[in-house]
Amino acid sequence: MQLLQKFKRGNSKKSQSKGHANYAYTTARVRAMKSKLLPKETYPRLMNMSIDEITRFIEESEYKEDVDELARQYEGVDLIEHALNRNLAETFTKLLKISDGDVNFLIGEKLKKFDIWNIKTILRGKYCNASTEEILDAIVAAGRMSYTSLSELAAKATYEEVISELTNTEYYPILKNYDGTNLSEVENQLDKMYYVGLFEAIGESKSKDRKLFAEFTRMGIDLKNLITLFRLKKSGITDPDAINLMIDGGLRCKLKETERLLPLSFEDFVSELESNPYWDVISDIVKPDMASLIDVETRLKKHRLKSAASFSHVYPISIVPIMDYMLSKQNEISNLRMIIRGKAANLEDDVIKEQLVI
Amino acid sequence: MATETLTAMDPAGLKAIGAGLAVGLTGIASGIAEKDIGSAAIGAMAENESLFGKGLILTVIPETIVIFGLVVALLING
Repeated sequence: MQLLQKFKRGNSKKSQSKGHANYAYTTARVRAMKSKLLPKETYPRLMNMSIDEITRFIEESEYKEDVDELARQYEGVDLIEHALNRNLAETFTKLLKISDGDVNFLIGEKLKKFDIWNIKTILRGKYCNASTEEILDAIVAAGRMSYTSLSELAAKATYEEVISELTNTEYYPILKNYDGTNLSEVENQLDKMYYVGLFEAIGESKSKDRKLFAEFTRMGIDLKNLITLFRLKKSGITDPDAINLMIDGGLRCKLKETERLLPLSFEDFVSELESNPYWDVISDIVKPDMASLIDVETRLKKHRLKSAASFSHVYPISIVPIMDYMLSKQNEISNLRMIIRGKAANLEDDVIKEQLVI
Repeated sequence: MATETLTAMDPAGLKAIGAGLAVGLTGIASGIAEKDIGSAAIGAMAENESLFGKGLILTVIPETIVIFGLVVALLING
């Protein structure tokens, strides 16, 4: 089968296979890892606990090792937050370790998001003169860049030094345009580069796996664009230049269609949305006079998780179950963080519940 | 009178080849089938050791293929 695919692909460089990929091993292991995620029923239980009880619960769960490791440096809510981040980084780098060949390559591409996130964090830190410790607190070393190299970067005195250190990386062509003032522009470009990189990785290849990966990514783009659109409309921005914030390459919403929606007011936007392919997902909560977007965002995120899960049942031995796991893990961590931070800030239970994506 | 040398194949030899093919090919087939199941079982076991029993059973299920081959080989020779 693999031989056949190799013949089909020919010798085009872009779509070359990155070696043998052991899907059976990786997907089975990832599925076993997924079974260790917290079940849905845990969240309502957590909501009824006090902060100490939640801390205890997390200490006794899969996060035990991380909590133990960091217990000397941090305490209370901060400890949990850092333990969650550390666990995320460990889990994702583990995915890189247990996979090989094509799977490893695709996971690496996906995890570049964290590399970009970390570079952005360091630059932001330098921008507002944060200390090295403060920057390191916000870093999640889940990508290909190791924590050590990132902490070296964070220890540099100025942003110029950080950028010159990154000369040999693929991010340099964008970073070199940073002059200390246009941070948001550079950040947008970095984000876009991430998606361009993803599409390049998918390449022209006709292999089923990369097609699935492409479909998965493009659906993510659709939902991300939709959320950005909602936010823009809600804050009354009708500037057509905002198209620069959108990501090209969506699966069911084309960029042209998004461009058409940009100059509309929120009310018109909502009525136009009825022809949107994702209207079914949000139809019952979107109203022209809605006060907050939390519901819509949670609903869209939930839709993404759900479709990832059902997708992974359709293609059990492919990249999809791995992507599904990555999404679910990230979601679990963001849910736990919301609960613990919400409780620490004395938010009402209902407010926290609204935010959770279960 | 010309003497004709008859080169007839020994039926026992053909039987032996048939039996060999039956065992050999089914052996390769179960090998291929077990390869993926085995590595998946190891992957699952690495995360959760209690899956050892289940993994072992699932891994040897394709073994039936080669057993059928063996039976056929015995029948041919029997």
